[in-house]
Amino acid sequence: MVERFASRRDTFAVVVCLALSLGARAAPDGLQEGIASSVRGSVLAPFLALQQQAELFRTSRTRYVAVTSERDSLALSAMLVAALREENDRLRDILSLSRRVGTAHVAADVLHQSGPLGGLVLLISAGRAQGVRPLAPVLAPLGLLGIVRSVDEHHSVVIAWTHPDFRASAMTPDGAVFGIVEPAARGDRATPLLRLSGVPYQQEVATGTLLLTAGFGGVYPRGIPLGRVLGVATEQAGWERTYYVQPAVQPAQASHVIVLLGAAVNLDTVFGAGQ
Amino acid sequence: MIGPKPTGRRFAVVLLLLVILHFTVRPLYPERFLVLAPDFLLLALLLYAIRARPGSAAVAGFFVGLLSDSLRPLAFGSGMLAHTFVGFLAAWGKAVFFAENLSVTLAFLFAGSVGRDVLVLLWGGHLRGATLGWQVFLWTPLNALVTAIAGAIVLILFQRWIPTRLAS
Repeated sequence: MVERFASRRDTFAVVVCLALSLGARAAPDGLQEGIASSVRGSVLAPFLALQQQAELFRTSRTRYVAVTSERDSLALSAMLVAALREENDRLRDILSLSRRVGTAHVAADVLHQSGPLGGLVLLISAGRAQGVRPLAPVLAPLGLLGIVRSVDEHHSVVIAWTHPDFRASAMTPDGAVFGIVEPAARGDRATPLLRLSGVPYQQEVATGTLLLTAGFGGVYPRGIPLGRVLGVATEQAGWERTYYVQPAVQPAQASHVIVLLGAAVNLDTVFGAGQ
Repeated sequence: MIGPKPTGRRFAVVLLLLVILHFTVRPLYPERFLVLAPDFLLLALLLYAIRARPGSAAVAGFFVGLLSDSLRPLAFGSGMLAHTFVGFLAAWGKAVFFAENLSVTLAFLFAGSVGRDVLVLLWGGHLRGATLGWQVFLWTPLNALVTAIAGAIVLILFQRWIPTRLAS
């Protein structure tokens, strides 16, 4: 039997690997992303293509009925669009307004990865070739999922709202209350929540109120659903309240996303907010 | 059960199969049960570590970590560190304890999976407070259990191809 206890050569190998790992951990973000991008574009490329096919197979198998139903509803709504567009154009002409900015987008599949940090960043199947750029907002069918951090030729890395660095300006549908939404943890819940902070004490937000992106800062367009208020988290008497928010989208459960490519626009009407 | 001596080529086929399963089986899981999808990459590493020298297992762990970090470039390097440690300790541990029993191997796979996750979480430092607690005490053990069970199934199905002798 071969001697399998750690020899000097084994110790050397593990020390080198640990040193390389520590070096990678300490490397600048640009270098880290460069290495990761190279690996995704070479060794992992066939496996990611395989994963994308498997994702498509599952989507086509399990979601056919739901997608058909959604398509029928949208088809009914779309019948009214032509008349509305014509009316809108006429009114814009009367007011001498320019044409409305279009919302360019690209659809992508989420390629979920294993590991305990899987819900913080996501890999999606659209990249530079599809027109995706860093800082592009990423939407799931029910609301905001996150933002693009880096872009490969055919894949992009998305920071989900669960990431500690995530922040978005938020507002209620009537525009009466504004605040900042960030990830939060509540001890009695296994799934992550959002927290709305920066709300003045005299402005109370009712439980169940929908929160939308406010559009400040020019990253997220105005009007994307973030979630619904669950209740008060903390109170600083006479100063401010923070609220727990039930997110509209759980990143771990997202399978299909839309990446916005165009300039920031108002998406109030897309999601029917405030109705 | 004592299996015949496996060849390296057959074992390599099993490892390649596990890598392919990692990218084809996980997407078939419904979204809400993704946390229960086994980690076949880690499983391949641990099965390799059972037969490899600690140094080789550490190098294999480093490359599995590199793949893992490239797929999820958050806390880049923490996956390499964690997988290197797990690979090395798994190979060293198998040499020390030399367990060929199925239940011990299950425990070995479970511990390897939990160890990997805890190391990634500690070095990554992205989860804190209650979120970290739920991850370490609920999701990680659940995922480790599923990975260990998947490993047991692989060991039973490919017992003639994998260099472990499972005592019933």
